[in-house]
Amino acid sequence: MTETLKAGSNELVYEAIGLKKQFDGGKVIALRGVDLQIRQGEFVAIIGSSGCGKSTLLQMLGSLDKPSEGVLNYRGKSIPDMPDPSDYRAHEIGFVFQAFHLLPTFTVVENVQIPMFEGALSRSQRKERAVELLESVGLGHRLNHFPSELSGGERQRVAIARGLANKPSVVLADEPTGNLDSQSAKSIIELLLQLHRDLGVTLVLVTHDLTIAERATRTVRMKDGLVISDQLSIPPTDSP
Amino acid sequence: MTLFTIVVRGLIRRPVRTGLTLVGISIGIAAVIALVGMAWGYEKSMVRHLDVMGIDVVVSNMSGGIMPKVYDASLEEKIGKLPRVKESTSVLMQMLSVEDAPMMMVSGREWAGFTWSQLKVVEGRMPKDGSENALVLGRLAAEVLKKKVGDTVQIDAMEIPVVGIVDGNAVVENGAIILSLSVMQEATGNQGKVNFIDLQLVPDTTKAQTDELCKQIKEIFPEGRAMVASEVVGTSQGFRIARAMSWSTSLLAIIVGVLGVMNTMLMTVFERTHEIGILLAVGWKRRRIVYMVLWESALLGFLGGVAGVTLGAIGLKILETTPAIRGLLEPDLGPQLIFISVGIAVVVGVVSGLYPAWRSSRLSPSLAMNG
Ligand SMILES: Nc1ncnc2c1ncn2[C@@H]1O[C@H](COP(=O)(O)OP(=O)(O)OP(=O)(O)O)[C@@H](O)[C@H]1O
Ligand SMILES: [Mg+2]
Repeated sequence: MTETLKAGSNELVYEAIGLKKQFDGGKVIALRGVDLQIRQGEFVAIIGSSGCGKSTLLQMLGSLDKPSEGVLNYRGKSIPDMPDPSDYRAHEIGFVFQAFHLLPTFTVVENVQIPMFEGALSRSQRKERAVELLESVGLGHRLNHFPSELSGGERQRVAIARGLANKPSVVLADEPTGNLDSQSAKSIIELLLQLHRDLGVTLVLVTHDLTIAERATRTVRMKDGLVISDQLSIPPTDSP
Repeated sequence: MTLFTIVVRGLIRRPVRTGLTLVGISIGIAAVIALVGMAWGYEKSMVRHLDVMGIDVVVSNMSGGIMPKVYDASLEEKIGKLPRVKESTSVLMQMLSVEDAPMMMVSGREWAGFTWSQLKVVEGRMPKDGSENALVLGRLAAEVLKKKVGDTVQIDAMEIPVVGIVDGNAVVENGAIILSLSVMQEATGNQGKVNFIDLQLVPDTTKAQTDELCKQIKEIFPEGRAMVASEVVGTSQGFRIARAMSWSTSLLAIIVGVLGVMNTMLMTVFERTHEIGILLAVGWKRRRIVYMVLWESALLGFLGGVAGVTLGAIGLKILETTPAIRGLLEPDLGPQLIFISVGIAVVVGVVSGLYPAWRSSRLSPSLAMNG
């Protein structure tokens, strides 16, 4: 695959060395020493059984929680040592969650504008950009609806549009299709693939669905808080 | 959409709770308006009263309570002879409960003194002389007591006939019962005693000359005090008590308001833990979340303040017509008090928001979103 070869030589986006995370004073060990490198433009699928630490790893990458031990760098800078990680969250990454996490009292177009408060756009520019983003995810006709009035697939599209609000270079997606029926799931994956292809964003996606993982440029398999395999593509025999 | 949109949305999403909090703040602010408005009104009415009567300097023994202690009337002779004094007149003034009215100013004035000259007869006549057993009522006093010329009014032990109704051109005057000093002394058992000596000075008396005069009075009457009319109100104990009471009651109302807003904002922050987690996850700075909470509580305070001023103004209008207040003072609801009250409400809002804002900014984004 030419794309993966190219990715291999690209700039290092994330580098984790011996990354550990424990909860409740050591009673729960979610990550036991993860070593991982992710390069610019990759589409990395993270798979593994429930409770193996996939979400925990993604939260560390997104600076939503601090590692207990180990090195975790974003483009050579230590994420846990960032003096104000909000800049990193606002401008470098976009999050997409399984549970959508939209703000219920704001309309679709308002939800997409929320991250733009940390940017330099004027009020009208924010609105304009939100409308453009929503049109690009196929929700141009739903701008003034509230999240509760949308289907799960539509809500996830809003969340993706919001994740792209400040033109991030990385999208971190934690089981983005986990709450969706297979039809919606398929179109959400198509949308993410399109972003990866057209915008060149680095995509890190946690999933249980091996058919989704197959479409990634690389698959990282985890077990009990460790990375147990890291392959440029899943061999066809692995799929169900 | 601006941060303000987000702040407003935060308030209107829980209309009942926001409404109840607003009611709480507005009652507090209404109390401030009513109490302070009355205290200021009392002072202002007094200043105007002295001004209308042409009093430049007041001599009294201010160690008493609301009204100064009585002292010997013979002092007036000595004080009246001091330089720069044009005219002097003695007064025995007391706040008495008169018939149905709980507090009325009863003013016994030395017959033929200059304090009589401002009164205009509206009905009936003035007393014939200083010894006639007669009194006149200010217009408002007549209304409050529901008395006409020919009725009698009970002052302490004495029944005194009303011979006239007068207009004194100031609320305090119009709310007073006015009679001659000797009749007042007899009625209240204060023969030979007065508690004010009012002085009118020679025109063009300078500040330095007035100060010199006050010093001389102090020598003649060491336990007394001579004050320029415009300072009387600021230094009198009665006014100080009224002012302190109105502010301390207001302070209580404000504290209750702070607790109410703080409670609301804390509930808001707890309830929105999840959303604050989302805001942090999409990159909002903690500072912005602090601003959001503070703006919300400040807006709550501001709206409560505006509602409270309205409520307080209505309250003052009602109080103004009650017999206890009527004729004693003209409540003062000026732009200054409105401004101060709304300002207090906003400060209450911001102060109450500080702790909730701090709490919200300390949330961990991952815990806030998942927990
Ligand atoms: N905040 C927390 N406090 C305590 N334990 C936690 C916390 N978050 C995660 N864990 C534990 O850490 C382990 C890894 O959790 P994580 O959510 O990363 O798993 P996962 O691979 O995402 O699972 P799933 O596929 O079910 O989402 C689990 O045992 C979980 O119970
Ligand atoms: Mg998970």
